[in-house]
Amino acid sequence: MGFSPMGEITVRLAERISDRSIYLVRLTVEDHEVGDVGQHFLLILPVYVGVGMSPAGSAPAHDEAPQHIEQRWRTAFESSAIGITMADLAGRFFAANSVFRNMLGYTESELYELTYLDVTYEEDRKTNQELVGELMEGKRQHFQIEKRYCRKDGTLVWVRNYVSRVPGMGGVAPFWFAVVEDITQRKEEESARRYTEEKYRVMVETASDAVICLDESSAILLANPATTRVFGYDPTELIGKPLTMLMPEFLRKLHEGGFKRYLATGQRHINWQGTELIGLRKNGQEFPVEVSFGELIQDGHRVFTGFIRDISERKQAEEIRKQAQKAIQTTQAELARVSRLTTMGELAASIAHEVNQPLTAVNNNSSACLRLLANERLQPDVLRRALEEIVADGTRASAIIARIRTFIKKAPAEKNRLDVNEVIGEVLAMMGHGFEENRIVLKSELAQALPPVLGDRVQLQQVLLNLIMNGVEAMTAIIDRPRLLWVQSRIDESGEVLIAVRDSGTGLGLEADSVFTPFFTTKANGMGMGLSISRSLIDAHGGRLWTTPNSPHGAVFSFTLPVPAGSPS
Amino acid sequence: MNGSVVFVVDDDRSVRSSLKLLISSVGLQVESFESADTFLQRKPPDAPSCLVLDIRLRGLSGLDFQRELATRNIHIPIVFITGHGDIPMSVRAMKAGAVEFLTKPFRDQDLLDAVRIALERDRARREQEKEVADLQQRFDSLTPREQEVISMVVSGMLNKQIAGELGTAENTVKVHRSRAMEKMNAQSFADLVRMIEKLKGPAKKAS
Repeated sequence: MGFSPMGEITVRLAERISDRSIYLVRLTVEDHEVGDVGQHFLLILPVYVGVGMSPAGSAPAHDEAPQHIEQRWRTAFESSAIGITMADLAGRFFAANSVFRNMLGYTESELYELTYLDVTYEEDRKTNQELVGELMEGKRQHFQIEKRYCRKDGTLVWVRNYVSRVPGMGGVAPFWFAVVEDITQRKEEESARRYTEEKYRVMVETASDAVICLDESSAILLANPATTRVFGYDPTELIGKPLTMLMPEFLRKLHEGGFKRYLATGQRHINWQGTELIGLRKNGQEFPVEVSFGELIQDGHRVFTGFIRDISERKQAEEIRKQAQKAIQTTQAELARVSRLTTMGELAASIAHEVNQPLTAVNNNSSACLRLLANERLQPDVLRRALEEIVADGTRASAIIARIRTFIKKAPAEKNRLDVNEVIGEVLAMMGHGFEENRIVLKSELAQALPPVLGDRVQLQQVLLNLIMNGVEAMTAIIDRPRLLWVQSRIDESGEVLIAVRDSGTGLGLEADSVFTPFFTTKANGMGMGLSISRSLIDAHGGRLWTTPNSPHGAVFSFTLPVPAGSPS
Repeated sequence: MNGSVVFVVDDDRSVRSSLKLLISSVGLQVESFESADTFLQRKPPDAPSCLVLDIRLRGLSGLDFQRELATRNIHIPIVFITGHGDIPMSVRAMKAGAVEFLTKPFRDQDLLDAVRIALERDRARREQEKEVADLQQRFDSLTPREQEVISMVVSGMLNKQIAGELGTAENTVKVHRSRAMEKMNAQSFADLVRMIEKLKGPAKKAS
């Protein structure tokens, strides 16, 4: 006996010799490929099963009774691991093994009421019928079909059928013979895989980042369309080329070394997620990229996939933002400087005015005395009082001059150990008659023996003067209650020196949060820079400036100044 | 100038008291105030007076105060003094009728001269006001008919014309005229015309 490994070959398998008869048994040998990985099985089917259909009068073989042979075939049919069914040429089932019946969920009797088309899913019927037609016409001996059966419960089952037409023989009508394999699971897996593959393909194709696959030698296996946009190369120009052609010279050795080391030791020389590197375009332009890498073992080979994002625009935006920030800082510093100059200019004018007052008084008193003396009308007590005034005004003028000296001394944020109370005293002196002129009662509550702070005397004077002037101005409209201004100093809970300026003015109400914002002002002629600059000055001292409402009226502006380590407290 | 008063308004105590001493050293009466408000509370004196005013007052500034006085129809001459005066400020003050604008520290003589000019200006103004008031009083003492006749005389009408206008005899007009001249204390026809012109002056201003 012999058979071809593929296809249907009807061979004369055996010639059995019984006592008097020779039984010819013809078998169909089919080679079936199952699944997708080349597993094969041989299906050997008796096309002519002689048992029970043997020519009349023939006797069973001497060594085996025909009943035995039939029994054996019947058992094999029934216990086959694969579905087997037979139908007449009209398509009606007349035999089905248990695997087939279970596959469809019908009992034997139910099934024999049905044709193969009845159980075939609508969409697959046409193809099935065409193939059956070809078989009928003798165009082919058998066919294979992947189709869906509709189970009794309405669910679908994917099958692969091998159908052949068994020719009629010796009084037996020809019929359809089908071997049915349930491939539902395979179909589902295939579908899932296809879906995933499709998904990844679409992702890679449409990605805006360049996606490049590399083999173990760092040669490019695949490049997506975005690669062209990012690097300027057509993917075909890149396949097989080393990845290093997409890097500037100085990175190439680094990459090769790192790549080799990784292959040998598994040690990564760069972070594989979102590392910023430099890319090289086809036109020679270098540009910033963000690179992420993934690794995959495929058929025993390592494949690396790189996602390369052109971050030129992002970098540019970052740069612009940085520059803008720098510009803002510069502007703020400039504003602070200008404001300080303005404040100093205003103070200079105010100081000039102040110096003129005692000078005028001295002149007036002296001239008056001279005139009275000339007229011999000068009374000793008038002279004494005039001289006392002259001395007092002289002292006042020299004190003002001393203050100007301190103030205009160029002091670029020079931090010295300062006694806060001393600074407060200087500022209160600068205010001169400012309090009594505005009918303000000054209450200075300064804690004794405060530790020195590190600070710029002029800047702190500026902040204090600003806070005090604000307090004074907040009270000019107050007529129904005393105008009180407290200037306080003490050590706070955290050991820092705290200075507070408290007034009984109109208060800030809802505007309290905004007063530190540049250009915010509640004053008709205010620039809105005073508190903003004061806060930045205090910040620069490592302190904090804030405001709280005063009770029952007005506002409190407080600031802290850290005490340098090692100061006796 | 006996009875004259110099008012000093300056918020700086030393300046205020030294000005008081200086001005009083030439025999003038001085009253000083620390603010415009306190000055306004004082009843205006019935004597020539002037104001020495610091332009940089806290609260109401010197220039604002000058305007305030004008709206209250108080015509006191002002000598401004300032710690640092700028030109626009001085121009504004002078335009508004200030006598002088002095920058501290000023020469004593400059201030005293300015004060004298201011007092003289106020005295002249008061005299003129007094003369007009006298004339008005005399004019008011005339009968309505006499006032009518006088007005027509001054406008250049002859007695005859006036008689025709009023529907009366020429002699009657003559009597009214001579009585009016007498009551007005007018020496001549020309004197009467001058008097009536003076009376019309302030009246015109008021209308």
